[in-house]
Amino acid sequence: MKAIAKTQISELLNQVAREYNVLVPVAGADKYAPYTPGIELKLNSRTLLPPKDVFFPQTEKMYKFSTDGMEGSLDSLLTTPKPQLLFGIRPCDVKSIHCLDHVFLSKGFVDEFYAAKRDNTFLISIGCNGPAESTCFCQSMGINPQDTDEVDVHLFDLGSQYGVVPKSAKGEAFVAKYAALFAETTEEVPAVAEFTLNLELDGVSEKLAQMFEHPLWEEVSRKCIGCGACTYLCPTCHCFDVSARVAGTQGFRFRCWDSCMFSDYTRMAGGHNPRPSKKERVRNRFLHKLQYFPERYGDSLCTGCGRCLSKCPVNMDITNIIKQVREVDLV
Amino acid sequence: MITEKMRDVAKDLLTKGEVNMVIGWEKGTFWYNSTPVFITKAEDVERLVFDEFCTNNLAKYLLDYKTAEGKVAIFVKGCDARAVNRLMQDQQVQRDKVYLLGIPCGGMKEAAPGTQPQATEGLPLVEKCQNCTSPNPVVFDVLLGDQVSVRDTQNRFAAVEKLEALGTDEKYAYWGEMFDKCIRCYACRNVCPACSCRECAFDGNGLNWLGKQNNLQENQMFNITRAMHVAGRCIECGECERVCPMDLPLMAINRKVIKDLNELFGAYEAGMDVENRPPLGQFKLEDPEKFM
Amino acid sequence: MTQVAVAENPVSPLVPIVGKIIKIVTETPDVKTFHVSTPDGNKPFTPAPGQLGMLSLLNVGEAMFSITTQGPNHLEFAIKKTGVLTDALHESEVGQTVAVRGPYGNGFPIEFCKGKDLLFIGGGIGLAPVRSLINYCVENRDDFGKLQVIYGSRSPADLVFKDDILTNWPQVRDMQVDLTVDRGDDTWQGNVGFVPAFIEQLAPSPEGDKVCILCGPPIMIKFCLQSLAKLGFKNENIITTLEMRMKCGVGKCGRCNIGSCYVCLDGPVFSLAQLQTMPPEY
Repeated sequence: MKAIAKTQISELLNQVAREYNVLVPVAGADKYAPYTPGIELKLNSRTLLPPKDVFFPQTEKMYKFSTDGMEGSLDSLLTTPKPQLLFGIRPCDVKSIHCLDHVFLSKGFVDEFYAAKRDNTFLISIGCNGPAESTCFCQSMGINPQDTDEVDVHLFDLGSQYGVVPKSAKGEAFVAKYAALFAETTEEVPAVAEFTLNLELDGVSEKLAQMFEHPLWEEVSRKCIGCGACTYLCPTCHCFDVSARVAGTQGFRFRCWDSCMFSDYTRMAGGHNPRPSKKERVRNRFLHKLQYFPERYGDSLCTGCGRCLSKCPVNMDITNIIKQVREVDLV
Repeated sequence: MITEKMRDVAKDLLTKGEVNMVIGWEKGTFWYNSTPVFITKAEDVERLVFDEFCTNNLAKYLLDYKTAEGKVAIFVKGCDARAVNRLMQDQQVQRDKVYLLGIPCGGMKEAAPGTQPQATEGLPLVEKCQNCTSPNPVVFDVLLGDQVSVRDTQNRFAAVEKLEALGTDEKYAYWGEMFDKCIRCYACRNVCPACSCRECAFDGNGLNWLGKQNNLQENQMFNITRAMHVAGRCIECGECERVCPMDLPLMAINRKVIKDLNELFGAYEAGMDVENRPPLGQFKLEDPEKFM
Repeated sequence: MTQVAVAENPVSPLVPIVGKIIKIVTETPDVKTFHVSTPDGNKPFTPAPGQLGMLSLLNVGEAMFSITTQGPNHLEFAIKKTGVLTDALHESEVGQTVAVRGPYGNGFPIEFCKGKDLLFIGGGIGLAPVRSLINYCVENRDDFGKLQVIYGSRSPADLVFKDDILTNWPQVRDMQVDLTVDRGDDTWQGNVGFVPAFIEQLAPSPEGDKVCILCGPPIMIKFCLQSLAKLGFKNENIITTLEMRMKCGVGKCGRCNIGSCYVCLDGPVFSLAQLQTMPPEY
């Protein structure tokens, strides 16, 4: 396996920054941000804010318009960004991008705004040798914390260096191009450290399909305060609203993240709301993660990154809810 | 042990049918998490706990049950009790619909995530408890445990004074940097016992009081409006700052408003009783009228 | 239903094209029908009956509406005043610029309906989506068996598409139109009563594999379903079209889900048999 010393990472980033807009996990802000030489990287764990905004920004203008009495015109604001390189995403976040691909690129309609950025992004991931945070449970969600294939280049954490493995044709070319920075190593990937949060997911999706009316939802939703912290920190939550900003005769329409936990999310113009209280909203969120999305796309919509668990104001714990679902006796 | 007493009194209230629900805390995911719990059956009272991690202010949950049949019992620390007073003062909660189980509170603690269980004596107080002016419940039906003494709160306005000392441009830059981080999850609003509108102006369907773009301008509009809306009604429970996933120093804004109100209208502590109306909720002839 | 939308999609999924309101018909005190063409006088796109279109006033807002029918060069949207956008649309005049995108959704299962007798039931503005299929059947009259329309509204003034229900449709071969109102007035000669009771009174037979296509307010649908069950209609042969809040129309924005179905893609048309396999959350 090829390898690069951890001390050489800034050199690698300096070099690739000539070719790409490089996005790196930044300490402090705890999110992915443009690389600048000397910026403090967070390479020992996932970031608090997920990388989804690289492809699906919290606010994204779609088209601008102008009006003049009854007349009006509009222009698309779709642009193709300069090639970008997303560096240092974890296997859980790689999986989340895979989930977003299902949503934005399949089922008959391709979302051009997402696709333009996704197609133009080179992915370099870093494996975890165990739970990076106490709230991590990716392993239970079927993710290998150390390795992933759905990137261009993957880095194994070998202590003082990263093992460098190309995972796509573009990745092969990348490794060849920067070969001067990589040396051969015989060092082995260490064993994965034990996770503290573990759960069994087998059969949960099928069981949930029979639990729509179960009293569990009333119970688990009681402490929810209906904020959007979980959905906005979630790497896979992708629901959005479409709105406009108008100033006089000019304006633009944009989309922005929305949250299924908010009361007006499903409320219709006439006032009818199919999910009127937090019971229905909490149920929908967890069923979307664990039943609806698996049914529709064949993948869990929870990657076990643990962000929601780490920041929920009331310790709403998806692992605990899965455990409670497993304990339910359906008769 | 407070926990034992909690379980006994909860069991008694539920068994006798005096209340239909007891709102308290139970252990959460980790040893350093306690989390709100809603007990409706006497056999479930063993879930109740009181320890140094019962940080959540429970009072706001009373709004979920204000039209429910019968009474709800709720455990209240000093800050929870002030929140209940506030909600009663705004006619959001009726005194005869709640049974208040007071718990004098020595302050909540925090442990670094992922650490092994350890004695809580050595752990630091959470930010929100460091300048608590009312650790003892100010309203209750029964009090579990002995009253505790009030900690030194000299530093209550230290963060505010530090910011006040900055120049205008520096202040603007500081808050700009802070509000730029806001992701508008509304956790601060939803957890706040002073935010009790049935429908928030920021949720208005198509009303556009606030644009949904996430940018500094809209984020500032939200945060400043929120702070001004709770002006005079903030009980300093610190929940907004605790729940903020982006760690915004929201209590610095709330305390700045409290400090200004105290200087303009005389000392006032929201939620200490239900009789004294908040300064912005009443009119007095001697109120300053500089703006008129 | 499984029918896949095959109509061309000339516009980007999320960016509309501009159009013009070329005609406005006042149907009732709170319903108007807007005819929309492109600025050069063409049809913005060709929807299948039952499909949806996203219509916007650029500086006001955007919402999903059923396309009530189409002409060779235009689309028609029958719209009830219910909120900010629809209020503004009702204030609009002919010549107003709008933006449109679509068509979205599955549409009615035309192949399934072919050769069968059809019963259409509508309440209030609920006739709007059903009308797209009725007009398709009228235009392709030989492909379908007998047609019956049972339509009701709150009052005679609230009946929509009066030309169709009073004049055009009753003249079509083997087509019957039965009207009812909740409250009559001095001039009303027809039936007075709620739609579900009227159905039981008329007692249309389910024989011959008759298909019922139904749309109206949720409470009407609920009681109509009971009436139809009493008459012996099969769940597979009861078809309705749903309404949910939508923002994208293309199965991305998330909010119109009922279980793992997206109403904008997998609906809005569902059979009662399908709805019974889905969570009752609409």
